[in-house]
Amino acid sequence: MTDSQPWPPGGTQGAGGPGAGEPGPRGEAGGRDRGDLGALLGQVARGDEAAFGVVYGQVAGHVFGVARSVLRDPAQAEEVAQEVLLEVWRDAARFDAGRGTPMAWVMTLAHRRSVDRVRSEQASADREQRAARADVPYDVVAETVAARLDAERVRRCLGSLTELQQESITLAYYRGCTYREVAGLLSVPVGTVKTRMRDGLIRLRDCLGVE
Amino acid sequence: MVSRFGFRRTDPHTLAGPYALDALGDADRARFERHLGGCPSCAQEARGLREATSQLADTLVSQPPDGMRERVMATAARTRQNPPAILPARAGWRGRAAGRGPRWGIAVACGVLALALVFGGFAWRTEQQLNQMRARSRAIATVLNAPDASMMTVTANTRGTATIVMSHRAGALVFTAARLPALPSSQRYELWLMDHTGAHAAGMLPEPRAGMTAPVIVSGLRSGDKFAVSAEPGAGSSHPTSRMILKVALPS
Repeated sequence: MTDSQPWPPGGTQGAGGPGAGEPGPRGEAGGRDRGDLGALLGQVARGDEAAFGVVYGQVAGHVFGVARSVLRDPAQAEEVAQEVLLEVWRDAARFDAGRGTPMAWVMTLAHRRSVDRVRSEQASADREQRAARADVPYDVVAETVAARLDAERVRRCLGSLTELQQESITLAYYRGCTYREVAGLLSVPVGTVKTRMRDGLIRLRDCLGVE
Repeated sequence: MVSRFGFRRTDPHTLAGPYALDALGDADRARFERHLGGCPSCAQEARGLREATSQLADTLVSQPPDGMRERVMATAARTRQNPPAILPARAGWRGRAAGRGPRWGIAVACGVLALALVFGGFAWRTEQQLNQMRARSRAIATVLNAPDASMMTVTANTRGTATIVMSHRAGALVFTAARLPALPSSQRYELWLMDHTGAHAAGMLPEPRAGMTAPVIVSGLRSGDKFAVSAEPGAGSSHPTSRMILKVALPS
């Protein structure tokens, strides 16, 4: 896997601090958990299509962004994003607040489905073809000030990790690599990658103020 | 802990990072999830790490393609939804008082409340009443789904137990009780929120069905409040007129 792009893709430092832009014209690509996503999911679970429309507005930009980052190919990313959003519709009643926040639930669905897709594709014959069409640069567009602030905060926290922690985490999350692949790419022992991922995530979690 | 759940040579805890990043192969993932099932502290850590990784998505937010919204909404409109997963019953949950990990408690609370809803038997007919019921269910769901929701089970001084799920973020609590002593027909149980200025009426408990009362929502909760229940005449009192059968300091 060759790559000359910075991680996160399109993510340059200072890409949107406080007051760096006006609120976007659309509600999509919005900030994290600005609305009460948990309550909305409760409504979606009862078949409320309007509530699902609001949920879509809150999460679709994140879901598509994750799929696009891992899969690279926009058409496949859209396919996976649609599957994930329909899964949210179908399984809203199965969201369990005891296991995490609603946003983490949706993002876990999005990342897992993307990773599953990329790995099944890797196992198939068109792996080479994918390598050829991958790595087309694209813009990550946070349209609202809130979303830019969220992104900025995460980048700042990522920046506080050691280089190896940061590389291990970003290769796995943004590209969908397994820890063994990460070890190979970085030429470090697998045991080291596993511990760096955990230590790095603990530091990231504490920096982000996650409970 | 090293040799539990099939991880004889590798400390399973080191897999927490790769797991939260979806960087495990299928076999490793399945093994680690089995391990989580038997290790509550690992499950707790996995949740925290998963919250952290999910926030990495904040740096990737990207405008979906034109028309995706319409396609998703149209497909959803003709897609059947799955019912809630059946929650495994936990033996002995009633004996657990406050202090148990609240997050694990919520799933149980939902089961209890769902049961109370069934036993509460809403034999209502008019559209207006149905709407009221829906609004109430929504308010209850908001508390249960709140990220800061916590649950406690309290034993009444007289007899019976009460389950309280509260959320400061929602400024409300959901209350349901089981096997409270039956009252004479002239009396009902009244709920109270208490602060330094005294007790404030917070609603009446509905008549129990099969020993359980339907969940009621109490809003206007403030940090430092106590919650209490007493038996009161008729439609309720503005100040408590009998001894509290149950009184609990809410976690702030």
